[in-house]
Amino acid sequence: MNIVRRGILMLLATVLIAALTVPASAQSTLEAVKKRGKLIAGVKTDFPPFGTVDASGKNVGFDVDVAHRFAKALFNDEQQVELVAVTSGNRIPFLQSGKIDIIIATVTITDERRQVVEFSDSYFMSGSLILVPKASTVKSLDDLGGKTVAVVQGAIQDKDVEQLQPKANRLKYGKVSEAVLAVKGGRADAYVHDDIVILSLARENADLKVVGKTFVPRPYGIAVRKGDTEFINWVNAELRKMHGDGTYDRLWKTYFADAEQFLIKP
Amino acid sequence: MTAYSFEWSAVLRGLPYLLEGAGLTILISGVAMVLALVLGLALAAISQASGRLARSVVAAYVEIFRNTPLLIQIFIVYFGLPQLGLKLSPFLSGLSALVLYAAAYNTEIFRAGLEAVPHGQFEAARSAGLSERQMLRYVIVPQAVRISFPALGNNLVSLVKNSSLVSTIGMVELMFVANDISFNNFRTFEIYGAAAAMYVVIVLALTRLLHAAEGRLLRAPA
Repeated sequence: MNIVRRGILMLLATVLIAALTVPASAQSTLEAVKKRGKLIAGVKTDFPPFGTVDASGKNVGFDVDVAHRFAKALFNDEQQVELVAVTSGNRIPFLQSGKIDIIIATVTITDERRQVVEFSDSYFMSGSLILVPKASTVKSLDDLGGKTVAVVQGAIQDKDVEQLQPKANRLKYGKVSEAVLAVKGGRADAYVHDDIVILSLARENADLKVVGKTFVPRPYGIAVRKGDTEFINWVNAELRKMHGDGTYDRLWKTYFADAEQFLIKP
Repeated sequence: MTAYSFEWSAVLRGLPYLLEGAGLTILISGVAMVLALVLGLALAAISQASGRLARSVVAAYVEIFRNTPLLIQIFIVYFGLPQLGLKLSPFLSGLSALVLYAAAYNTEIFRAGLEAVPHGQFEAARSAGLSERQMLRYVIVPQAVRISFPALGNNLVSLVKNSSLVSTIGMVELMFVANDISFNNFRTFEIYGAAAAMYVVIVLALTRLLHAAEGRLLRAPA
């Protein structure tokens, strides 16, 4: 059939384009960044307290401060960083396609992701928690069988909930804010995501509450392009300096003090 | 610098899920198409025939839905209306936003078609002793539809492509599935490429269908 033939032609054309396209270089990002004079970092804008946007439109949060700190280390000017908004779904494609130099956006280190990016040492430990409406009777993952559970597309909880509570019906959204709206609007019975964001959301929204115990704790890492060991070594060295000079502790107090009892400090 | 290696296995592994998504894309845009045609034609007829109030209501509807992004309409129906107490299922939310959006364009397209029918046709129909209803049914509407056809076809093709926006409200259609797979295997080029190819096939099939319908319409006596 002609339509099928044309579809196949289209696919072949796609492959041809792929073969001709020069891939984003896996070579030294650090050189390129220094030559450019600014770092381009992917950060979250919907993920308190790691990356949000304040009332004046300024990026704020733990990850944002780390990005500024890196700019200061590179150029002695913490403003020499361009912050690009990313989501759990698109951050790795953004890195792979060269739109950003580095992901500082709450990336949980997993084996699958390790195959496509280079991870730094861990800079935060995060498990998962459940956010439900105030009136909900849900107390733990066990109660979510047969319920509708919001998760963010591309976030680790999509798989966690599938494995730990296969009877739950997962609803996937592109952003944290949409998943929260789904719970508030009664479209989902619960929303499962990283503990720290769930705790912040519960504090900001009086009609929601946190339930359950933190499950499956995993480390966050900063990510750069696969094979770029020079850059990741630089990142690790900077992280060590931040621990050494008290910056990390200061950031921790600023952003996590009121959730500290739930968190695992690395 | 290494050359990009296109991984067919990623496409093959994703194929069953992608086809499932394509199924929902076809379903939701197909249903939306039929409803948007009916609604568009009805509203165009109202704006031609009835009094000033009905005309301005239709005009207001058209302007509101044509001049706002479809994504906002989808979000208002899906996230906004529940706060007012109207909670439609994800499918119905997506469907109604698509229908209202496409029907606004269809209304304008049909209206233009109706207005393009020469005045002489109305006069001839009246002097042949046809009632208003008969005149519309046998003389005016068939010609208007024929005039509207090319623009209508474009709008229906847009509708299929626009249906990708309902992926944002968790509808598991083609775009959603492509996101879902590529966010986990990171083979973005392969997966979005395969999804794009599927859209091409769906739209080509639709344009075929429209061509056939147009040919039949042109051959049929008015």
